[in-house]
Amino acid sequence: MNMPVKSVTTHESPQDVKPGAVEPVEIDIRNVSLSFGATEVLKGIDLKIEPGEFFAFLGPSGSGKSTLLRAIAGFGPTPKGQILLGGQDVVGMAPWKRNVGMVFQSYALWPHMSVARNVAFGLDERRVPKAETERRVKAALEMVGMSQYAERYPSQLSGGQQQRVALARTIVVEPRVLLLDEPLSNLDANLRVQMRQDLLKLQRRLGITTIFVTHDQEEANTICDRIAVMADGVVQQVGRPDDVYDTPANAFVASFLGTANVLEGSVRKEAGGSVFVLHSGIALPCAENASPGAGKLVLRPQSISFGGSSENGLKGTVMSAEFLGGMIRYAIDVAGQTLLVDEVHTRGHGRRKAGEQVSLKVRHQEGVLIGG
Amino acid sequence: MSDIKRKPLRMLGLGVAFAALMTASPLHAADDKLVVVTSFPSDLTDVFKTAFMKENPSIAVEVVNKSTSSGVKYLIETAQNNQSDIFWASAPDAFEVLKGEGLLGSYSKEVEGIPADLNGYPINDPDGQYLGFALSGYGFMWNTRYMEAYNLPAPKEWDDLEDAVYHGHVGISSPSRSGTTHLTVETILQGEGWDEGWETLKAISGNAKTITERSFGVPDGVNSGSFGVGIVIDFFGFSSKASGFPVEFHYPSVTALVPANIGVVANAPNEGPAQKFIDFLLSEKGQALLFDPKIMRLPVNKSAYADAPEGLPNPFDGSIQTKVQFDSDMSEQRYNVVNALFDVIITYRLDDLRNATAAVHAAETALAGSGSGNAEAAKLIEEARALINALPVNAEEALDPDFNAIFTVRRKDADTKVEGRQAEVEQQWDAMVVENYRKATELAEQAKSLL
Amino acid sequence: MTTAALRRPALNMSVGPYLAAGLVVLFLGAFLVVPVLKVIQVAFQDPATGGFTLVNFQDFFASTLFRQSFYNSVYVAGMSVVIASAIALPLAYFTTRFNFSGSVIIQTLAFVPLIMPPFIGAVAMQLLFGANGSVNLILRDYFGITIPFMKGLNGVIFVQSLHYFPFILINLSASLRNIDRSMEEAAQMLGSSGVRMFRRIVFPLAMPGYIAGASLVFVKVFDDLGTPLLLNVNTMLAPQAYLRISSVGISDPMGYVISCILIVFSIFAMWVSFLGMRGKDYSTTQKGGGGLSRRDLTRREAVLCYIVVLMILALVLAPHLGLLLLSFGTVWSFGVLPDGFTVEHYETALTSAWGFIQNTLLYAGLAGLIDIIIGTAIAYLVLRTNIIGRKWLDYMAVSALAVPGVVLGIGYLRVFYGVEMPVTGQPLATWWGIIVIALAVRRLPYALRSCTAALQQISPALEEAAENLGASKLRTVRRVVVPLMVSGLVAGFVTSFATAAVELSATIMLVASEKDAPLAYGLYLFMQSAAGRGPGAALGIMAVIIVGLATYLSHRLVENARHNQATTANQGGGH
Repeated sequence: MNMPVKSVTTHESPQDVKPGAVEPVEIDIRNVSLSFGATEVLKGIDLKIEPGEFFAFLGPSGSGKSTLLRAIAGFGPTPKGQILLGGQDVVGMAPWKRNVGMVFQSYALWPHMSVARNVAFGLDERRVPKAETERRVKAALEMVGMSQYAERYPSQLSGGQQQRVALARTIVVEPRVLLLDEPLSNLDANLRVQMRQDLLKLQRRLGITTIFVTHDQEEANTICDRIAVMADGVVQQVGRPDDVYDTPANAFVASFLGTANVLEGSVRKEAGGSVFVLHSGIALPCAENASPGAGKLVLRPQSISFGGSSENGLKGTVMSAEFLGGMIRYAIDVAGQTLLVDEVHTRGHGRRKAGEQVSLKVRHQEGVLIGG
Repeated sequence: MSDIKRKPLRMLGLGVAFAALMTASPLHAADDKLVVVTSFPSDLTDVFKTAFMKENPSIAVEVVNKSTSSGVKYLIETAQNNQSDIFWASAPDAFEVLKGEGLLGSYSKEVEGIPADLNGYPINDPDGQYLGFALSGYGFMWNTRYMEAYNLPAPKEWDDLEDAVYHGHVGISSPSRSGTTHLTVETILQGEGWDEGWETLKAISGNAKTITERSFGVPDGVNSGSFGVGIVIDFFGFSSKASGFPVEFHYPSVTALVPANIGVVANAPNEGPAQKFIDFLLSEKGQALLFDPKIMRLPVNKSAYADAPEGLPNPFDGSIQTKVQFDSDMSEQRYNVVNALFDVIITYRLDDLRNATAAVHAAETALAGSGSGNAEAAKLIEEARALINALPVNAEEALDPDFNAIFTVRRKDADTKVEGRQAEVEQQWDAMVVENYRKATELAEQAKSLL
Repeated sequence: MTTAALRRPALNMSVGPYLAAGLVVLFLGAFLVVPVLKVIQVAFQDPATGGFTLVNFQDFFASTLFRQSFYNSVYVAGMSVVIASAIALPLAYFTTRFNFSGSVIIQTLAFVPLIMPPFIGAVAMQLLFGANGSVNLILRDYFGITIPFMKGLNGVIFVQSLHYFPFILINLSASLRNIDRSMEEAAQMLGSSGVRMFRRIVFPLAMPGYIAGASLVFVKVFDDLGTPLLLNVNTMLAPQAYLRISSVGISDPMGYVISCILIVFSIFAMWVSFLGMRGKDYSTTQKGGGGLSRRDLTRREAVLCYIVVLMILALVLAPHLGLLLLSFGTVWSFGVLPDGFTVEHYETALTSAWGFIQNTLLYAGLAGLIDIIIGTAIAYLVLRTNIIGRKWLDYMAVSALAVPGVVLGIGYLRVFYGVEMPVTGQPLATWWGIIVIALAVRRLPYALRSCTAALQQISPALEEAAENLGASKLRTVRRVVVPLMVSGLVAGFVTSFATAAVELSATIMLVASEKDAPLAYGLYLFMQSAAGRGPGAALGIMAVIIVGLATYLSHRLVENARHNQATTANQGGGH
């Protein structure tokens, strides 16, 4: 490895980063708005990310999640509002002064530098002495399992290897926070599963506050402590993945996180508690304490099962079936309303045929009412 | 190996730095310097520069070569902070322009063997601002191979070139581009009179293959065989022949010997060396250098002719007929009008003029061939000729200072009235000649169809 | 972790680009805008009173001659684009489509026509293609016919197409090489192939490169002075301007009016091509590049290709061939070939050439360096910042393309002759550095194009990654942007350098002493006399060889750099 010797001068370098563990910092986003010309891309975002947390921005493309991430890193137009990293407002600060680590979707490895020089870049900029740079580059490459590729050029690496180098390049400078912009989207499915576990391990090891931007709920659910679901420049819901899944705040969150039957109707008090009455007149069980009035009921496909008593049972016709591996997902027509129903697939059992008459049972308490 | 991408740029930088070092090599050790602005080719200037610096090792001569017109322009543009010492060029008109701008200093010198005038034309500026150093006559040169291939006779007089056989074989420059061509044009105008002169010029130009942009374009075209005959200053012919080209030169009887000149620039930073250079140029030794085969000019110093190479005529023994006594006052007075007029009615409309001329030639040939003759056709041809020859400006107008002032921004004096703008006047001329050439072509074709 | 050093960053972020823009504006202002305005202000002056007027423009449009000149200029420029395209298209197609060993020859030799020193090129062309040139002498002897290659406007179109077609070839080949292979494969999958696919898919994708080259050719031909003058064609705008500006004693404002019109029309033409290209620059949406899939040629096809390529090359290199003959010929007059051969001319030329060569390398080299520095700055400001008026920097630099060299030369004399150099007290206009600057300004548009193209191909994510890791804008440019642009920069340098090395029109006004004169000026000196033709041609050959070598070496440097790190696909940005 051949690294230029940098004189240690009074250059206004970013943080004078010391080797060793990083003290995790909190990220506090306060009322952040941002426009591209006339288009409002972020509309008053408020978010607090705890120190050391592995946090995800989850949303479809165009939801503003990448824009928000880039705003934290200092790219794009300057937003309104405040972004506090460990209590320091970084809005308006140059990207190179923030000491925020970002891994780009495209990895953005410089094709004219070897792997080692790519990784050493940030340390050069920080005027880290040569010997230490060498040691830290080595350590970072080891951490991502890329030591043997140090002298290669990016074009000679596979996508997964490039990803690891990009990660090493970012963590070697020990940034205050780690931002990952769809880091797995360019990898194939198997590698993705492996890589996300590696990411999680690495994050836990470094204890660094991390934000992970993705449109893939599975990725977010599997590795993140908490997620923020975003759409149309607004944070729709924040919480632990399972909480958000189980109690979605609105129809968007419900359908974006997994599959959901979102049914319109109204809550009616009855003797046995509350029921949710669809427009078609069919009544479904819902939470006891639900207040009466028009609303939406979210029912996961796995909350409905086949067979059931005549009492609260629903009669329907099978329209189609999708084989999902562990499950078969049926679309059932119930008095003009299509319901998705999952049934566990077991070996040897055939599928229900289209046109077959079935009766369905909704498990009590599993429907979630959301605002109308 | 980690830095490969940056290397090419670094190499480029190094290369340039290296070149810079080489150029910064030590300069001449001379105490004095002399800056000569000239239109002469290095073939001429190098000979004098070398010889002069041999006699005056302390003076470093720097030659700045510009065409006559850009040389004059250069001196005018740089007058506010002049760095040039000598202006050295053929055309007396250019010196007259500089004199008019007050850009020439006074320096005159009497040298034995150099007469005050040649056939009445003063060799030195009577006001003592510039001096003649060599004589130039005007005539034509032709390419012998070309003439043979196309079966053309060698021309003897200007009128010969009006002949139909020369159609498309003649080359000439424009007086506005070439000081020497201006002198040629003036010589013809003064020798034959304004109207007849223009008739000759148009008839010759009607046979032209091209109007070249530089004076040297003409000998160059003859040398390479682009066209057969060129109207040139004598030394172009002599030096081309001396360089081995299959060309000949001939003086017609209507010609003038006009001095090529040298003068000290006003406020010259190195006046002393400048005067020394002129002294050297006019000395017998300097004058003999003009016989160099690459130069071949006629010295103004009579005594120099003792060593003249064979084939170079001696103007002082009458071997060149000069019917014209060149009137440089008149030339200077109508300088701009002649240039503008030539360009508008000949240079820029050469195709039209050529077509009209060709049509008239064709009609005349047909008329001659018809034997019996045809009065109507002859009349039409005559009309066509008259149309081609019609001039938008007459002799008096051309000399009118008010009219000339249209062509200059700086008026000679406050009383001069300027009416109209050059572009406006030229558009009128243009409209007239284009229409005339068109009509002449038509009439000539009509005449031919009658035969 | 300290935060003390991190105060007031917003200021830091915005000042840099403005400072850079300010410097560029200062440079272009002082060395392009002011001198040009100083010259063309005459166009707005009443010739009699000196007051402001538009009457000169009225005169221009009232004049039949000028209208015809304008028409001729547009016609010649348009036809030259057509002919140049006809030459460049097959060459570009062969080099990018097939595994064709001739590609190397094409890439090496196709640049050479741009390096045609002034004057002698036309002399050589006359000797070969003129009415009594070699070709016509042969035709007349054997077939009794002649072809007027060099007559009037046709001659101008002929010479200009041969001279400027490399602009189209270079730009078109570059875009063809950048086409994503999957684009072509998608078309093939859908049943398109051959010429049809080339027309419907490949050519539209390569369009931006073609338009860039074609518009350059159009503007260059439109503004070019040398060729029409040397062919003695006067009825075009540029020669009209030149003839009127440089005639002795005549102070006709029309020359300056025409200069104005040349500049305005050229900018207009560039703008039209820009409009045509808007929304058609697909380079960013194509991921991989890699160019078209190449296929091997059968033996017969290869022979055929070679024949076509060699015929085209023979045509485009004819001026150089003529020059070579001229430089070795004794007397060449009205003959198919010179009478005899000699090396004497080279001896003569070498006695005076060394100083000229040194000066040329220095001037053109410095001019090339200045160009890529300013070119990179402008490209970066335009593509990567959002400072106000950044597009105008681009327009300003490109407008240099439309300024006739002689106008710039006169402008420099007017503006800088009164300015004295600090130590020597010599007028600034007579310092050799001013020639360098004039060359740099004249060639800046070429370099700017290369720089812009190179920067466009770098994903902004690569820069953001550097900033993210603590590199400031300036350091990012130095460590990431410039190294990645290097092949584009070298290409820009080479174009500037090679064309500046043979430029004469601006320098002839500015050369104040022979000691400081570049090669083109030396050529000019030789070409003023009958005996100087051979040595002039020899000097011209030397110029072509030197510039060609410099070009070749630069290319080799870039190629080596590329080989050493394997081809890198640019990772496209995801934003």
